[in-house]
Amino acid sequence: MRFLLRKGRWAFLLTALFSLPCFSQRIPACEACHGPGGNSTTALIPSIAGQPKLFMENQLVLFREGIRKSPVMNPQMQGIADREIQQLAEHFSKQAVKVVSAGSADPALMKKGSELAKKLRCGICHLSDFSGQKQMPRLAGQREEYLESEMRAYRANQRPETAMNAALYGVKDDEIRALAHFLSRSAPGPTSR
Amino acid sequence: MRSLIALAVTAAFTASFAQAQPKPPPAWHQGKGAKMADSKLAPHAGKMTETAASDIPVKNLKLPRGFKAELWASGLPGGRSMTASADGKKLYLGTRIIGRVYEVTDEGSKRTVRVVVDKLTQPSGVAVNKGSLYVFAIDKVLRYDNIASNPNAQPVDMTKAFDLPPEQHHNWKYIAFGPDGKLYVPFGAPCNICEPPTKEYAQIRRYNADGSGKEIIATGVRNTQGFDWHPKTRELWFSDHGRDWAGDNGPQDELNRLAKPGGNYGFPYCHANGIVDPDIKKADACKGVTRPVALMGPHAAAMGVKFYTGKMFPAEYQNTMFVVRKGSWNRTKPMGFDVVNVRVDGEGKASMKPFLTGFQQGAEGYNFWGRPAYVHQMADGSLLVSDEQVGAIYRISYSAPKVAVKK
Repeated sequence: MRFLLRKGRWAFLLTALFSLPCFSQRIPACEACHGPGGNSTTALIPSIAGQPKLFMENQLVLFREGIRKSPVMNPQMQGIADREIQQLAEHFSKQAVKVVSAGSADPALMKKGSELAKKLRCGICHLSDFSGQKQMPRLAGQREEYLESEMRAYRANQRPETAMNAALYGVKDDEIRALAHFLSRSAPGPTSR
Repeated sequence: MRSLIALAVTAAFTASFAQAQPKPPPAWHQGKGAKMADSKLAPHAGKMTETAASDIPVKNLKLPRGFKAELWASGLPGGRSMTASADGKKLYLGTRIIGRVYEVTDEGSKRTVRVVVDKLTQPSGVAVNKGSLYVFAIDKVLRYDNIASNPNAQPVDMTKAFDLPPEQHHNWKYIAFGPDGKLYVPFGAPCNICEPPTKEYAQIRRYNADGSGKEIIATGVRNTQGFDWHPKTRELWFSDHGRDWAGDNGPQDELNRLAKPGGNYGFPYCHANGIVDPDIKKADACKGVTRPVALMGPHAAAMGVKFYTGKMFPAEYQNTMFVVRKGSWNRTKPMGFDVVNVRVDGEGKASMKPFLTGFQQGAEGYNFWGRPAYVHQMADGSLLVSDEQVGAIYRISYSAPKVAVKK
């Protein structure tokens, strides 16, 4: 506590007071697009509820640094400190997953998607219930058209290189559609790990 | 607002597919045979946010008797290779994915950190020469003149002079100026295992400081991420990572010596101590290949290499090497996650002893909290060790243990 007696202690205390609630003040901005509790109701905007913490931390840093390109997220993340990123990731990783408007399942697409997920071994990294872990996102219950768009982006090497670029190499459009259909309708696993 | 954003996202989404050009799969995946299709092994996730000093368990680090480790700097996500200004007061660190170069200023009792440049593609190569900081990213070379005294120095773009090939994989770099004043730059194989697509890869080059005078001094080098020059012989010693997906036990990483320019180190046909590659074959695969001085362990990820020339450590460390092993991923059980001390006897035989350990707990599963990457010798003879996982630097110092006096 000795530092409080030094010159400038008021500035320090004021800064501390005003910076404390900062991360929670940002939550409404996240939810404006990603939906209440991070369960998106908007096309092409992913659900972030129950996503692994490390996955969200890393993606938010990549957005802030402009390494993962997004015309929306790049400016949104400017000036947000690591500490707040960690708090936001922690917060949304603990929100309950609610599958929003998945629509009715097409049995043929479900079968094809399920078989492809086995063949492509999605469950090795994303876990057998596709609930994600560490740097790998939850796929179960994610928005269908978002999954499709991101799988296509990986296939086209438009996201920073990860194992996904290889996993989706040569996967055809109709196969990506079936995977997205199946994964978006898989029951989400535990919300935090 | 929401529909506006959705519109922007949709527009970006549509635009991106107009130019979609599928490329071959990433290089780290190559050579993964059918037998390993179900393997759960994959590169470890890096951490891109700051780790608070209080969350870095320095007390877990273990060293030989008389040595001590302390947390010297933190708040450097992804920080790896280190180079210092001439007066030793500023330290520069390169990174990979996070795209930054850090400057750490030593203020005696504490260190301050600033970002010199960001948003680069894997700017892991940093070196200081005559007051100028050189930064090597995959596709860019920048030079900051007099940076220690002029923190706002604008970079000179040197990219054209260095003739960088386009592939990213294994082309994140360690760079250093040699005792000959030349800049040494590796160009890794753009794959796990392959015939390199052109003759620009799997080699070490040297250049004059302005990028002229390009010379290929070693070939068959898969991926060197660290080198140094012997303080007496001035020969170049370098680490080289062995290939993946060929089993838990090999081929091992190498520690190599370059006696004179022109050596061939075997990639892709011949690895380690004469192991013929199971996938990329040719007759007499190991003929004319320079064998390593030491094997550094399978998949251990031998990174930084430094000869110790300081006065602080006991005399037995003089001119021996510290080699950092960042730690394996392509192996069922962990290997590395430490700094080893390598000594070479009069007959050229190398022996290796653990020096800094304690990053990984247990020998069975992966349970690590840090991953050491590079070492840097300070003017006082202490040793800095960078940790890429938690974005920190440890300082290793030595004081002779007090001899117990019998009463």
